[in-house]
Amino acid sequence: MEVLLGITGKDFTLIAASKAAMRGATILKVSDDKTRQLNKHTLMAFSGEAGDTVQFAEYIQANAQLYSMRNETDLSPSALANFVRGELASSLRSRKPYNVNLLLGGVDPITHKPSLYWLDYLASLAPVPYAAHGYAQYYCLSLLDKHHQPDISLERGMELLRLCADELKRRLPIDFKGLIVKVVTKDGIEVKPFDEDAVVRGT
Amino acid sequence: MSRRYDSRTTIFSPDGRLYQVEYALEAISHAGTAIGILAKDGIVLAAERKVTSKLLEQDTSAEKLYILNDNMICAVAGMTADANILINYARQAAQRYLLTYNEDIPCEQLVRRLCDLKQGYTQHGGLRPFGVSFIYAGWDPQRQFQLYLSNPSGNYGGWKATSSGANHASAQSLLKQDYKEDCTLKEACGMAVKVLSKTMDSTKLSSEKIEFATVGQTKDGKIYHKLWSAEEITALLKEHDLAKDETTEEK
Amino acid sequence: MDTLVARYSRPAYHQNEVFSEQEQQDLNDTVPSLKFAMPPVAHPSAWLRAATDDRSNPSCPIKIAHGTTTLAFRFQGGIIVATDSRATAGNWIASQTVKKVIEINSDLLGTMAGGAADCQYWLAWLGMQCRLHELRHKRRISVAAASKILANLVYQYKGMGLSMGTMCAGVTKEEGAALYYIDSDGTRLAGDLFCVGSGQTFAYGVLDSEYRWDLTTEEALELGSRSILAATHRDAYSGGFINLYHVKESGWEKHGFTDTNPVFWKTKLDKGEFSNVTSNFTE
Repeated sequence: MEVLLGITGKDFTLIAASKAAMRGATILKVSDDKTRQLNKHTLMAFSGEAGDTVQFAEYIQANAQLYSMRNETDLSPSALANFVRGELASSLRSRKPYNVNLLLGGVDPITHKPSLYWLDYLASLAPVPYAAHGYAQYYCLSLLDKHHQPDISLERGMELLRLCADELKRRLPIDFKGLIVKVVTKDGIEVKPFDEDAVVRGT
Repeated sequence: MSRRYDSRTTIFSPDGRLYQVEYALEAISHAGTAIGILAKDGIVLAAERKVTSKLLEQDTSAEKLYILNDNMICAVAGMTADANILINYARQAAQRYLLTYNEDIPCEQLVRRLCDLKQGYTQHGGLRPFGVSFIYAGWDPQRQFQLYLSNPSGNYGGWKATSSGANHASAQSLLKQDYKEDCTLKEACGMAVKVLSKTMDSTKLSSEKIEFATVGQTKDGKIYHKLWSAEEITALLKEHDLAKDETTEEK
Repeated sequence: MDTLVARYSRPAYHQNEVFSEQEQQDLNDTVPSLKFAMPPVAHPSAWLRAATDDRSNPSCPIKIAHGTTTLAFRFQGGIIVATDSRATAGNWIASQTVKKVIEINSDLLGTMAGGAADCQYWLAWLGMQCRLHELRHKRRISVAAASKILANLVYQYKGMGLSMGTMCAGVTKEEGAALYYIDSDGTRLAGDLFCVGSGQTFAYGVLDSEYRWDLTTEEALELGSRSILAATHRDAYSGGFINLYHVKESGWEKHGFTDTNPVFWKTKLDKGEFSNVTSNFTE
């Protein structure tokens, strides 16, 4: 029951991930960060098989940083997304494939255009205006279908995230311990404070 | 004495030189001239074609100018056979990058990939280095229009205008004299034919003696590259009054 | 014959109980009319499951029609009931024009999710029970009672392969607006808001975000319709038409059986929603 959410707007991409680290029936940690920064303008959130997730994300992170050092320029979010897809596709055909689902969000360092990519462990890649993984897809996509517009402000983006988080708190049977929210803009990546104590009343 | 050091690429001479590399550079300075000029809205590459014959098929044997990628072309000075190997390598590298990242390889990276290969032959491996210099013209979103020159040692550099091959020293000084910052592609084309006409043996040029290519941007922002046809080259030469008088040629 | 005699020779007070034994009896195997033929195997329910579970075995011999979005919610003006109209059997769209709202009587509605045949049969049967209740007691059955009859019935068949997720909605003098959820596990819940079916989560997403008790009737109808649209857009097993009802004290009122396709495009083009449906993301 890991939650990954992504929303793009006029000049930003928001990425949110649940903070619970679950193993079986136990919550091992309530402040888990399921994201890795690939370079100044690109952030990747991951969920899936324990172990695979962090290993894969950090492998990608290392490659992105190696590229930046070698070429004195960062890969664009689009290039990174295609690179990750390629890595997942070759992993899928190996003896032990990575079982990882990803959201990759960023802002193009040259054009400043925000982008969001949805990838799953079968190495599908889709550029999307908003995205979710896991059960969050079932609750949040219809909500975002209704409320999302391509040119929304960051404030409106955070409101939509709040709307999604509230719905998940209301309907998901397991507490996912709130969301860690990060925003990518042309100036880089920062953590957004996200109120976690708000009580959501169900119907 | 020197024979002990110049038969292998991998060995320095006592005064710190790699003779094979220098010989390769020497070979290039006998090849047809190639020049490249960077304009604000594009790049022109022009090259002198040494082998001319009436029997030669014109359009199927581009000798000096090659397309490497959607965003890059190059001019060759030196051994065409060696160049073919490197161009094939460059095209593969560019396609591999496209396959991995779904975007065109940045110009400098492609130049560097080729130069890394060239460098390899100055240190280990084969019997001799590649006897080719390249002038690259390309565009990428980060650095826009770019012009590079690379030589057999594996060195490369970015230029506003550059030349290679026979008479490259005089071509270089002509370019230095005539180059204007912020010149247009059209002006650069004119400059290119003028420089070529002065560095080449014959003062009057014809379309079979030179090859011409440009990289530019269409009105809607798309990058294009174009290898010029004989007719287009003739028209350009006429415009600058450099065309060979056709009646004299007939005699 | 003995059973019939025994039945009509019981003391009168037995027959006047609120939930008469008769009704209870109806559920028992002793009544001929409700005795179902069982497959001649050792474990009928396991056999049925093996033959019909298309999720674990896509090539199962019998594909039961299910996959649906239905919703109902209480608000200040009564109850809104809305459903899609698609029936699927495996990947096959069996129908796009199914009536998933069953008009039990002039002020009681039932919704259909799960096995189409199970729902149709048992809700029709429920209608019959409600009419019998009226005749016996000279007053309309409460929603609570009607839903309980159905819940008890399905509970009898628990584990035998029934597949139903239904809602009963009605307004009565005694209860006001009442809404119950009943499923084939035997769950029966009273509540303000339910979505049932494979598209339930998508409907919940939209419904929860804009649901308020003091919705006007227009707003409530629009919200119900928009929630079904959301589900038909994301759930492959929901689609077709939006079937919309408003239940109030004077009985239920139908608000159309509307094709989702023009509604989708109107919603997208007029309001700029569904921004993921675009050709801008080609790579």
